[in-house]
Amino acid sequence: MENTINYGIDLGTTNSAIAKFVKGEIVIFSNPQDYGRNTLPSVVSFKKDKITVGNKAKEYLEKDPKSVVGIFKRKMGTSERFKIKSINASKTPIELSAQVIKELKTFVNTGDDLDAVVITIPASFDTIQSNATKEAGFQAGFNQVVLLQEPIAASLAYANMKKETEMQEGQWLVYDLGGGTFDVALINIKDGEMKVLDHEGDNFLGGADFDNMIVEKFLIPKICKEYKFSNLEDDMKSASGKFNAKYYVLLRRAEEAKITLSAKTSAEIVIDGFEDEDGNEVDMEIIITRSEFNELVRPNIDGTIKMIKKILTRNSLKPIDLQFTLMVGGSTYIPYVRSRVEEILQIPANCEIDPTTAVAIGAAYYAATKPKKIGKSSAKTKTSISIKTAYNKASKEKDELFSARITGETEGLSYRITRQDGGFDSGIKKLAERISEDLPLVDGAFNFFSLVVYDNENNIIETDIEPIGINSGFGISGQPIPEDICLEVDDYDNPGKTRLILMFQKNSVLPLRKQFTVPLNRGLIKDNEEDYIVINVLEGTHLALPEANKGIGFLKITGKQVSRTIAKGSDIEITLSMTESRDLTIAAYLNMSDQEFKQTFNPKVRHTPIEFLKEQVEDLSDKLDVEIQEATDNEDFETAGALTKLKKEMETVSQATVSLTNDDVTDKRYQLEDKKRKIAQEIDSATKDKRIQAVKTTYIEIKEECEKMLDENGNDHERKTFNDIVAQESAFFATNSPLKIQEKSDEIYSIVGKIRWRTPEFLTNLFQWCKKNQTKMNDQTQAKSLVDAGNFAIESQNWERLSEINSGLLNLLPKGAEKEATTRIGFGL
Amino acid sequence: MRETKKATVKVPQAFLDLVNQIFEIDKKASNIKEENSIQRNINKVRGLLEVDFFKDAGLTYHNPIGESYSETRTDCEATIAGTEVDNLEITEVIKPIIFHTYTENENTIKNISQPAVVIVQAKK
Repeated sequence: MENTINYGIDLGTTNSAIAKFVKGEIVIFSNPQDYGRNTLPSVVSFKKDKITVGNKAKEYLEKDPKSVVGIFKRKMGTSERFKIKSINASKTPIELSAQVIKELKTFVNTGDDLDAVVITIPASFDTIQSNATKEAGFQAGFNQVVLLQEPIAASLAYANMKKETEMQEGQWLVYDLGGGTFDVALINIKDGEMKVLDHEGDNFLGGADFDNMIVEKFLIPKICKEYKFSNLEDDMKSASGKFNAKYYVLLRRAEEAKITLSAKTSAEIVIDGFEDEDGNEVDMEIIITRSEFNELVRPNIDGTIKMIKKILTRNSLKPIDLQFTLMVGGSTYIPYVRSRVEEILQIPANCEIDPTTAVAIGAAYYAATKPKKIGKSSAKTKTSISIKTAYNKASKEKDELFSARITGETEGLSYRITRQDGGFDSGIKKLAERISEDLPLVDGAFNFFSLVVYDNENNIIETDIEPIGINSGFGISGQPIPEDICLEVDDYDNPGKTRLILMFQKNSVLPLRKQFTVPLNRGLIKDNEEDYIVINVLEGTHLALPEANKGIGFLKITGKQVSRTIAKGSDIEITLSMTESRDLTIAAYLNMSDQEFKQTFNPKVRHTPIEFLKEQVEDLSDKLDVEIQEATDNEDFETAGALTKLKKEMETVSQATVSLTNDDVTDKRYQLEDKKRKIAQEIDSATKDKRIQAVKTTYIEIKEECEKMLDENGNDHERKTFNDIVAQESAFFATNSPLKIQEKSDEIYSIVGKIRWRTPEFLTNLFQWCKKNQTKMNDQTQAKSLVDAGNFAIESQNWERLSEINSGLLNLLPKGAEKEATTRIGFGL
Repeated sequence: MRETKKATVKVPQAFLDLVNQIFEIDKKASNIKEENSIQRNINKVRGLLEVDFFKDAGLTYHNPIGESYSETRTDCEATIAGTEVDNLEITEVIKPIIFHTYTENENTIKNISQPAVVIVQAKK
């Protein structure tokens, strides 16, 4: 157990925070319900069955004041009670503050027993107010509460940041301008003792007022100048006003602009989405400059400086008697606040500490020096309860009903359910024997919820509940696909040939959708039917030959169908989607003509265009001949024999296909397609070993080359990429997939390519080759100047420059000089 | 039990700003009467962010316009307009909910990287 208190709480009028001293450093706990923000709005909301503290309560503060309470700190130590309509009861400021402290306890994730704490109070608090704050701490479950004045806490944060364990004797100001309140205190240190000598404040001044000013004094006049409104300000500010919702939009935008102005000299505010009295759509962008903003807030800032001057006069001091002004509170981020205070007082404004958390940090430093009282041990309720839950573990609904049955004593206990992504918080509710809650689900994801039980001081009670997991993903009731779904593309490694790429993997659960964009490798001349692009979707393993798989969707776009000529290199966007009943939709969008071609294929109907079948059969026949020849040449008589047996069958299919007319309506085409597929599968299996051997050889060669280049010229990143690939070697070899091994070779080849482009020898050779082809280049003047620059780069051994020059020269080569690949599909990947 | 640990991956603000801008364009484009060619580009950008932008992770956004609102919705930061506080719905979305999606133990996890900023009003 720790001997010192270590925990510090800034119990602020508008925002609170909790921090802990851990081995010389301060940890500020973030709000688990508010996306990692370090602060908690000091607002409490009551509903019949639950209490909410913080941001969610704050949202309702203005509109539901009978059930939501804020700014109760000002009433600490008074007999005032806040009537809460929703629970038909009243709450004291102490009880409300205790709720805030209890909520802060839920931020702590260290597992510590929270029994002692330092809580900060304003310099203006008298004994009764101070005791009331202590009482709030006790009500929240602390056994020991030590108070500390806020300006002293801020000063301690500063002193510790500066590593000055003891500040020099002297005095300074703490200027605290927050979201809704302003305080200034004169601090003095004498004989090692820090004291607040005097203070002033304004309970109704802060950052929120500045946002209001931007809207009222800057934006509304500008909107009214441009558009016709007779009473825009009232229509916006009145709760029943026509533009009340717009007022809050403007406030949000004004706040964003204010934050931007802390870093930039101007900010844009977009005003749109409503009509003026003449029916004109309001759409304007208003620029607010930092100096315009400064002018708006100047009277308020000058007002705070007047308060400082009052303090100085009362204490017979001149600004020069002060060491500095320590700036605290979120609004001191505004550069003008800092500069104006500095300008008028002529002493440095010190902005070195984080103004939003300084008080909590100072409290934690102070807590580290205060010993924990020994004796009164935490009288924590040791409750043992068991929770039995009931809910659907998979759901496609927007909400899922969760219910639980509790065994054990539930009196005085409460619970809270939160979603792991931070999107849902039930609030703290009373625990009963049976509880139920509608849990909202995020679509297409696994939703985790946690149910936490607290005692009446918000200490966590251990229970036996497991995390609540509800799958709202697609894979709940959809059926898996029995085979891979692939797309036929041009094979750039084997010009004139095609290959398959995987679109949806076998066993993926329907529905499925995939979209990708690729450049076309051929153009489509408008009205020319000879030009076409083919999208051929097949079912069957993606590692097979295209001819071996079953066609399930086929879309052909010809020059006849396009609204303008489509250039080679322009993009085609292909979308494949398959419904739960396995209807396949192919959509192809041509960027250049802004045209979409779409067709849905029903799994019950086969799609075998005869023309395409003929082409495939012819190709397969050629392929078989080549394979037989190759196997014979390599004296692989076993393979050659197997393939020759297929030859006869192939010939029969070829003849039958040739004799089919393009408008044949019989089932013959399907029979032939099946036969063709079987032959292709057999060719595939007979030649697979050969292909695997070939890609393995290529892999080993490129690997050796890469290793050598890495030794000579590789960097750490390239080495890591290489080692990662090699580490998986046995795994991808074991797949026995030529494509997979090829893919890895390509990855290594790309490392080789990168290194080459840095080596002088390669760059020089490439430059010499470009020089030889200089006469062919498109722009002779530019080519000459690049060649001159290249010669100079070689002379001066500026290889980086030579690399740029080479790229420039290659770009000057005529497109016709590039190798024209024969393509069949129209695109490749 | 202890509370489920929250993911600590923080998406850089610049990415969130980018997504917010795409959302703005998306909102504006939906008001333009044309054959959805702008929408196509937006969908394309959304697709890139969702699938190809990061390794094994993606960013998606959700526009909660028209959805019901209550204080349990911590995926939105709301400002209530009008006089009523019950039976609320989202009438304006200034920023969308941004999800950071990734796969863990074969489960798709979506974490909220940015709660929506919305205006809510009582349902009419």
